[in-house]
Amino acid sequence: MEVSGLTKTFGRVRAVDDLSFTVEPGSVTGFLGPNGAGKTTTLRMALGLLVADSGTATFDGRPYRDLTDPTRVVGAVLETAFHPARSGRNHLRVYCHAAGLPATRADEVLQQVGLADAGSRKAGGYSLGMRQRLALATALLGDPSVLVLDEPANGLDPEGIQWLRGFLRHLAHVEGRTVLVSSHLLAEVEQTVDRVVIVGAGRLVREGSIADLRAGAEGAGSVVVRSPEAARLAPLLEGPGRRVEVEDPTRLTVAGATTDQVGATAFAAGIELHELAARSSGLEQIYFQLTSGTEQYAAAPAGSAR
Amino acid sequence: MNALVRAEWTKLFTTRVWIGLLLGACALAGGFAALFTGLAGQDSGNGPGIPDVGTPVYEELVLSVAAQASVFLLILGIIGMTQEYRHRTATPTFLTTPRRGRVIAAKVIAYAVAAVPFAIAVLAVNLAVVLVYAGARGDAPALDEDNLRTLLASGLVLVVFTVIGVGVGALVRNQVGAIVGALVYLNVIEPIVASIGSISGIYKWLPGGAVQAITSDFEAPDLLEPWQGVVLLLAYGIGAALVGTAIASRRDVV
Repeated sequence: MEVSGLTKTFGRVRAVDDLSFTVEPGSVTGFLGPNGAGKTTTLRMALGLLVADSGTATFDGRPYRDLTDPTRVVGAVLETAFHPARSGRNHLRVYCHAAGLPATRADEVLQQVGLADAGSRKAGGYSLGMRQRLALATALLGDPSVLVLDEPANGLDPEGIQWLRGFLRHLAHVEGRTVLVSSHLLAEVEQTVDRVVIVGAGRLVREGSIADLRAGAEGAGSVVVRSPEAARLAPLLEGPGRRVEVEDPTRLTVAGATTDQVGATAFAAGIELHELAARSSGLEQIYFQLTSGTEQYAAAPAGSAR
Repeated sequence: MNALVRAEWTKLFTTRVWIGLLLGACALAGGFAALFTGLAGQDSGNGPGIPDVGTPVYEELVLSVAAQASVFLLILGIIGMTQEYRHRTATPTFLTTPRRGRVIAAKVIAYAVAAVPFAIAVLAVNLAVVLVYAGARGDAPALDEDNLRTLLASGLVLVVFTVIGVGVGALVRNQVGAIVGALVYLNVIEPIVASIGSISGIYKWLPGGAVQAITSDFEAPDLLEPWQGVVLLLAYGIGAALVGTAIASRRDVV
């Protein structure tokens, strides 16, 4: 999948601004950015639902609207809304007919996403997690080689998120499909994705492998240390790119260091530690830095309004 | 296209909207047939009442009342199209079939074909009530050429209004707006146009005028010929579908 120069303006808001990136076949790519960064708009343009002001998006070199058999090439989860009075199975049968697939596919995909028992119930009575699964089942009907998922973890409980992670890994690494999954939380997809495309305010911020991002993020996080000799430890931890804050006589935080480094310093000085923990991963910190200032509706920091 | 039409039938028959609307249409056609038959020949004392059973005017009136049930089929068509937007199934629908014109064409075909048995059911209820009740009052209409033509015309109106409904739904994607707008147009705007002398001449070119031209050739003198009414009504149905298709193909599905 290749996105090139996509641009879309709604009224006076430029939702997507000359955005280009590539999704490598056979990989899981995380499409990340804060709320309002233009992720959904980009995906809807790529899938021919929104008309782009300029730019193109192609699958194997062809725009989505020109694919002869789109359901076999791309499966997309953009929406978790269904006709409330139609059963999950009948919903799937509609799209089996429309795509020229045998109606038995409906039961197969229900089985695949674990909804087999709920297939004859009306979709209006489904929980949010069940809706996500039904949407995923719809995307899988045509057995597509590419899956596009817009915030699939929204509304899932921890168990559901865990299931989703495993399912996406299975689809990509066992079944060899290409997956593009959007999220506003890096942590949600960090363990699943191979590559990331990070956007902010409709523009590309960073594109590359998660390993590269991780390498650049080494030590960018912050570490919490609890020690009876915090005051003696603090100056030892000072250094270029580090920021040490003594919160109270037994507790300090170090920004720009890893737990390994802090542990080694303390050990060398013979300082007793009671706790040593990463408060935020470097990756999360980097993501935050990359996208900060690009949120569309950023709230003022708590307390600043007073 | 076959596959898409089947998909539309699956959508139509996997919810119960059609049952309610079909029952409503049958009740309206049967109810007014009974009312007209009951009142036939009674002189209300002020102006002409409904002619007595057995007269051609009574027979035409009571058999063409089925065409009034077309409002239910219009709503069926509107719901059929607008539910895609209301329940947001337009997204998977247009993902499965990115060429949206094909979706709307399939919907038009699916609803036109489905409307045929619906229309037959409405006509059957209408005719059954008339035959039994007018028969009890002494003179059941014969199924002669004139009466069969009236029934056929009513059936055609029912089918075409279903298609117009799909077209209106594609134009006005908001379900409530489309239904209210269509009802206001048919029941407020057209009667007003028809009642104002200086502009009443255009009434015969409006859908309501076309319906009257098809179903009755008494009463209003300045109506089109029945066959012209048929052509005009079909043109409205196809026109609504074409304009709806052209617009739906370009609009963003948010």
